[in-house]
Amino acid sequence: MRKKPFSIDQAAYANLLAGINNLHFTERKGNLSDFHLYSNDQWLADTAVIEQLTRSKGEWQVDLLFASIYNPLKFLKRHITSHVCPKRAAQQAHFMRRLAAKDQRGTLTVSADQLNPCLN
Amino acid sequence: MLSTKQRILNASVKLFNEYGVDAVRLQQIAEEIGISVGNLAYHYKSKDAIIESVYEQVIDEFSHIFRQYLQSPELADFDQQLSLYYQFFQANQFYLAEFFKASTTPGDHTVAWQQAVNKMLLQLRSWLLFHQQREVLKPEPTPGFYDQLAQSLWMSLVFSPIFNTMRGLHSTETSYKQTVWSHIRPYFTEQGLAEYQADVVPLLSY
Repeated sequence: MRKKPFSIDQAAYANLLAGINNLHFTERKGNLSDFHLYSNDQWLADTAVIEQLTRSKGEWQVDLLFASIYNPLKFLKRHITSHVCPKRAAQQAHFMRRLAAKDQRGTLTVSADQLNPCLN
Repeated sequence: MLSTKQRILNASVKLFNEYGVDAVRLQQIAEEIGISVGNLAYHYKSKDAIIESVYEQVIDEFSHIFRQYLQSPELADFDQQLSLYYQFFQANQFYLAEFFKASTTPGDHTVAWQQAVNKMLLQLRSWLLFHQQREVLKPEPTPGFYDQLAQSLWMSLVFSPIFNTMRGLHSTETSYKQTVWSHIRPYFTEQGLAEYQADVVPLLSY
């Protein structure tokens, strides 16, 4: 048996067309500056990701610290999650670090020497 | 490489246009693409089956044009749709001829076509409203005026190739488009006329 072709009610179709018409009035083109986030966040690709567990408000809080391997003073800290159980928090931190880091084995590192401290 | 089924449909459309649907025999279709009638019968049991598939294809092609509605807000966008309409009506003239036969009972495809025609009319009306809101077209002089304009646009779109054939004139895509645009032109605002001159007129003069 031949299937019946799909048909749309005329009033519904007119509404649909009005919707398409409105689209061109309500939607505007974006700015080029909207794409700046790609270049602005480029440095995050080359960062050492360090997990940080802190006890706060009775829970173990997992934070990840992203430090640029070229300039450790350029860093970003993000709160990920928190757990009541420290083991689970540590496990979560481990997995989240592996997810976020460019290198899962952790070859990208930063050290205190890079900060060039003056010891005088 | 087209499938045999598709080649049969294409040849049928071509022959229908030349001789009319009733005058074409299966033998002719088979000869057109160089296959045997037996092979043709393998793909389509009867001529009715071919006609039905051809009609389905026609409606599909027509729906494809609908989907191009207002892809971008410029007037040139409509010009592209006009090209598609021209190609469609040029390639499927036999289809309209079928509607002028006396005493045909409305079949499935007639209903489908009627729905498609109503959609086309609604699109044209909606397009006029859009450009009125965009201030490319003047406000309606009297209520319901643009409904009339949509109808005359529809008539030009569908019948101007046939009209030219009746007069023994050769219809080209450019003349087709010019006919349609000439209906809209008097109602442009200054801004609309500027856009028309800049974007559409160059497309019409090739």
